[in-house]
Amino acid sequence: MSLQSKADTASTVAIVDAWEKLAARRRFYTILGLAILFAAFVASVRFADDSNAGHFFDRLPHLFDFLSWLIPKDWNDVWRALLGIASPNDQGGEEHNFTVGRVPLWGGFYIPNYIELMIVTINIALISTLVGFVVAVPLSFFAARNLAPSNPLRILVKRLMEFLRAFPEIVIAGLFSAVLSIGPAAAIIAITLHTIGAVGKLFFEVIENIDMKPDEGMTAVGGNWLERVRFGSLPQVLPNFTSYALLRLEINVRASTIIGAVGGGGIGEALKLSISRGFGAKTMALVLLLFVTIVVVDQVSAALRRRLVGEAAFVPVH
Amino acid sequence: MRLKLQDLTRQFGKKTAVDAVSVDIPSGQMVGVIGRSGAGKSTLLRMINRLADPTAGSIHFGDVEVSGLRGSALRHWRRDCAMIFQQFNLVPRLDVMTNVLLGRLDHRSTLSSLLNLFTREERLMAIAALERLGIEQTALQAAGTLSGGQQQRVAIARALMQRPKMLLADEPIASLDPLNAKIVMDSLRDINRNEGITVLTNLHTLDTARSYCERIIGMSQGRVVFDGTPDELTSDAIHSIYGVEHASQFDETMTSTAISTSGATEMSADPHPAGNLSLAPA
Repeated sequence: MSLQSKADTASTVAIVDAWEKLAARRRFYTILGLAILFAAFVASVRFADDSNAGHFFDRLPHLFDFLSWLIPKDWNDVWRALLGIASPNDQGGEEHNFTVGRVPLWGGFYIPNYIELMIVTINIALISTLVGFVVAVPLSFFAARNLAPSNPLRILVKRLMEFLRAFPEIVIAGLFSAVLSIGPAAAIIAITLHTIGAVGKLFFEVIENIDMKPDEGMTAVGGNWLERVRFGSLPQVLPNFTSYALLRLEINVRASTIIGAVGGGGIGEALKLSISRGFGAKTMALVLLLFVTIVVVDQVSAALRRRLVGEAAFVPVH
Repeated sequence: MRLKLQDLTRQFGKKTAVDAVSVDIPSGQMVGVIGRSGAGKSTLLRMINRLADPTAGSIHFGDVEVSGLRGSALRHWRRDCAMIFQQFNLVPRLDVMTNVLLGRLDHRSTLSSLLNLFTREERLMAIAALERLGIEQTALQAAGTLSGGQQQRVAIARALMQRPKMLLADEPIASLDPLNAKIVMDSLRDINRNEGITVLTNLHTLDTARSYCERIIGMSQGRVVFDGTPDELTSDAIHSIYGVEHASQFDETMTSTAISTSGATEMSADPHPAGNLSLAPA
């Protein structure tokens, strides 16, 4: 009995016809949906342009004017600003006072001001990520449906996490800088709180997807809740947790830069001042430093995460 | 100590998985539970160590009412009533040694367990358990990298570490090849004979139940429909358990995973004793 001989029976033909009809209808809806989406997009852009008194497309070419204000008069000043070397263009103003804020080490060696500010910014991100991680791990086990010791507690912890990540870091930072005055402390608290909410959610979703067989094994040997979590779940989720924490570190470096601009200390503050006063060389130096730092942090963290995920890829075959 | 199940019932929604099961198992018996998929075998075993809670009825072990235990008393019972699973339920990322040591969890303080601080005595005990099952050379490997048969032996070593008074096995050989299935069943029989503890095991192959168990309990639709010795398991009894129209439709050798040995065949009703290597359907 071959498949060929069966293919032209009436019922087979009917099934193929019905399937083609169904596929055609699906295709029609997809095209219709895309057409509606496109029309809505065009209409909304029109509306936005009109709300701007019709200047959006007129003013678009002037976007690059802004960048021209930031071109330094002497390109060598970019390196000098970055490395804290005195500039021949220094006429006593703030535009070229590159040696201010050096941190002396020993002899003639020092840390340039901007490098130190960058380190402050990275440190804010590091400590916030670390504290956020340490708090989020236990919270996420209370929030995961499959492991939460009690349902009211689970809902409470979930709401708490939602509350913490509902506010952008910059809002929390503004609140705390009003209380704690301007400086890194407010930035650290703000980023830590937001990190707890953000990674906590990712963590408990990881936990809700684990294989429960090891946990069942731990229950069956008479393990209590802590022992089940420690041996049944933690070995499974830790690589993913670490990976998410590293991803969060990348985000937090950027967040702590931005918070710096509203008074959180570190490099963001210097960048904001430099841009608002039109100091071309300083701005260029800071942008360059930020760019290099963020690329390095992202690459290192991506490499680490690849290694972790590579390890986690080893799972038993069922 | 005697295990006594009295009208034990478990319902999932409207469906009754285990329906008023009353069984009395004296200490030291090796008992096989057979039946179709969905007959309630797993639920029955999982109620005995309380991985599932009974809807009605009671479980007694000696003087202890197991069905009423809570908190640390319940954890002590689970320690005393070790269980091995079809899918082994080890921690795949931890090494074999740690997996076996985890059998000690309810014998020690939580803090030292969480910090992974096991005593030298416990390590020696773990090695002894692994040696008994012939897999001591895997002690430092991650459990997830072992073959199924090796993993099941690690699970048995972990169960031994609990110093159990009873051993439950839920389809222990269903995912194993015939040779490993024999090794695992031999180990269970060895534990039953040397430790003198009750072994209660679910099996999906009749001939394994016949060869290894002194008593067979047959379940169908949540009820016990057969309870007796392998000799009493006639084709009528098989019919009542599996619900096949004619016993002739049902050939035990079709589902067999056993490698026939002299020890296995003497009790077996297997008409083709030699070289039966057919694999069980999944």
